[in-house]
Amino acid sequence: MEAKFIPGDKVPAWLAELAKERRTAVPRREGEAVVFRPFAPDQPVPLGRQATTPPKGSVFPQCEPLMVFRYEKDPASPDTSQVRVKETIDETPRLVVGGRPCDARGFATFDRVYDAEDVKDLNYLARREHTAFITMACPRPSSTCFCHWVGSGPADTECSDVLMTPVEGGYVLEPVTETGGELLGSGLLEDAGKRLDEAHVVHKRAAEGLGEAPDLSETPGKLLELFDDMGFWEEVSAKCISCGACTYLCPTCYCFNITDEACGAEGARLRTWDNCMSYQFTMEASGHNPRPTKAHRLKNRVGHKFSYYPTIHGGAIACCGCGRCIKHCPVSVDIREIVLKATAAEPAEQE
Amino acid sequence: MPAATGDELRIVGFLCNWCSYGGADTAGVGRFQQPTDLRIIRVPCSGRIDPLFILRALFHGADGVLVSGCHPRDCHYSEGNLYARRRLEVLKRFLPILGMDERRFEYTWVSASEGKKWQTVVHKFTEAIHELGPAPALSEAQVARAQAVAADAA
Amino acid sequence: MSLLDEMKGRIKERLPELDVVIGWQRGFDPLHATPLFMRGEEDVDRLVLDPLCVHNLATYLTGLRDKKVGVVVKGCDSRSVIELLQEKLLDRENITVFGFPCEGVVSLKKIAREVDLDLVEDARVEGDTVKVTVDGGEKSFPLAEVAADKCGRCRYHNALLSDEFVGEPVTEPEADEYADVAEFESRPLEERAGHWREAMQRCIRCYACRNACPLCVCRDHCVAHCRDPHWITEQDTVDEKWFFQVIHAMHLAGRCTECGECERACPVGIPLLLLKRKLNKEVEELFDYRAGTKVEATPPLMAFQVEEENINERGW
Repeated sequence: MEAKFIPGDKVPAWLAELAKERRTAVPRREGEAVVFRPFAPDQPVPLGRQATTPPKGSVFPQCEPLMVFRYEKDPASPDTSQVRVKETIDETPRLVVGGRPCDARGFATFDRVYDAEDVKDLNYLARREHTAFITMACPRPSSTCFCHWVGSGPADTECSDVLMTPVEGGYVLEPVTETGGELLGSGLLEDAGKRLDEAHVVHKRAAEGLGEAPDLSETPGKLLELFDDMGFWEEVSAKCISCGACTYLCPTCYCFNITDEACGAEGARLRTWDNCMSYQFTMEASGHNPRPTKAHRLKNRVGHKFSYYPTIHGGAIACCGCGRCIKHCPVSVDIREIVLKATAAEPAEQE
Repeated sequence: MPAATGDELRIVGFLCNWCSYGGADTAGVGRFQQPTDLRIIRVPCSGRIDPLFILRALFHGADGVLVSGCHPRDCHYSEGNLYARRRLEVLKRFLPILGMDERRFEYTWVSASEGKKWQTVVHKFTEAIHELGPAPALSEAQVARAQAVAADAA
Repeated sequence: MSLLDEMKGRIKERLPELDVVIGWQRGFDPLHATPLFMRGEEDVDRLVLDPLCVHNLATYLTGLRDKKVGVVVKGCDSRSVIELLQEKLLDRENITVFGFPCEGVVSLKKIAREVDLDLVEDARVEGDTVKVTVDGGEKSFPLAEVAADKCGRCRYHNALLSDEFVGEPVTEPEADEYADVAEFESRPLEERAGHWREAMQRCIRCYACRNACPLCVCRDHCVAHCRDPHWITEQDTVDEKWFFQVIHAMHLAGRCTECGECERACPVGIPLLLLKRKLNKEVEELFDYRAGTKVEATPPLMAFQVEEENINERGW
């Protein structure tokens, strides 16, 4: 599989070709935000910087029906009714162009949970298997980027099918997977030739721009030690307003909620994103809530990503370092700061 | 505008149990002819009406919403309609910025003895809604829901 | 002595009798301030006080009701405190207000139109100029140009309520004409409806708008999460999201103090303040009332007059 090159001005035509084969999501500017939308030939595609929202919804929509159901009465015995259920598995071929390495890599966190040995999430897997990613390597890290903390980098290819790198006059396209190779069959593409070296220079420079990553090997243990230190969590969560912006903008947050939304005799069982910042997150039917305050909930968010998840998944951190939770937090809660503070914390005195 | 001509619109009426609901009854007992577009929901007091009831109806396809309560000073609970008046007036003035025609929502006061007045109110409001025509089309999701309800009722 | 130093001094004086004082400090980059919870003198030294201090800290007060809390407020924030006191959601004896004359806050969205916020290296406010260094180059913006829209029409720059006021009060400008509301309402009805539907499409239902609002006091018991009655479903359709915003606005009718936190907090930039402005305009016309200006007043939708002066009841 050879690396290719596409001149900048041919990108729209190429995307139009790709969009014929697969349902293609690309970044689009809407108001002050950049969000992923179906490719439309008349709309510009801003590839310059990280989009406001990740393309998470292409594989794991904010709301998806797991099944639809309908109650039907038997005319012969009107007292009884039966329910018809139809599963909704979505195998539409999809493509996401213009996400960042962190955006694509977020699905690695999903895969360990939804594609595990003993549990397979069929709705997730159907979409995951049928979605390809043409990912844009980051030429320059932003002030909120910390992908190098979590074992990644600005040119990480994990979960991507093609890595796209901006170089003089256009983009170098490196196939990563077999699907990626197939995506690079267009006649609009040229051989990358020497430009591939240029791309690698871009990768190297971006990685250097991120600087040194702190050592987080002690973090999972430290966070567990701090589990009962509510003083610590109250302090770091004092400014949190307990909204869901961090969670819903996170490429790795995979928690969901299931509700039946029925109307008349018909309805759907919906899976929607859940959000551990919300009071209702672990609200129990009895009225008891094990995470009653924002301190408990922020502890869960940080603990899950940097301690509990890595502990059961071979050290993999459930954070891709995209920095959206920092950049778009209405009060600038900085997860990096909390992780460092926890890592450096002295264990509280045992009573 | 009767259903028989097939061009009936959907008007939701929230009526206070103690006056307007009785007024509508009086109109019925008196056999005053009225258009049939109005669907009445009885509430204990106009003060019980959360503005959400009205917005919900308008958001889900009602072509018009009419609220009718006791005359000011005549509230069964002494002041429910006085609070309601402020809320309803603010709500009516809020609609234009949402892109909704404020003429689709109206509120009035009709007592239990005013059968004739009730007839006039229903006539005038129904006429006004017909002049505006059906509310702008619903989204696909709303249509699907409405069909599900209809199928359930059938 | 600078305004900041004076403020630090006053806070340090009062801190011993308080559990916490809420102010601002520098955030993850020089352009972003972030709320600061001061418990000791060393915390006070981290305080900053400039037009980058955008947050309305009154949002935290209801959650700290059982504590002795000090809060640093701009003019608009002080109105939120007044409104909360009015509604008896705070106890006056537990609140210590540190006010100062605000000359407007910076809208980071406006700065973002000019420079790449991801690459900000330095930012500072000198007089009425905001200087931002991005990628080695410095750019200057007159504060008036990059101030939040709310600041251009603000009538309450000086804190309306304060136990400690630092600095010289600024002169308050003329009345607000609600020109933005009039402009929007001059557009055709379909265009208005379309504008909202399009904007709501990108809503992610994070409820930052609600949680950043100092007057959204239902907090954990919001109508948006209630299953019975089931006002809003979990579907992520525009209808559901838009309906929530309309409820949110209605709940703030006659209460919203126009701090604009709903709009500022929105990660996808939905211009939500306009809805609340419209309601404030109508409330002002109907009841000659502006939220959060007098502690002893009653919000107009929690009151009535038997003969309403400005409600013209349409005869039938």
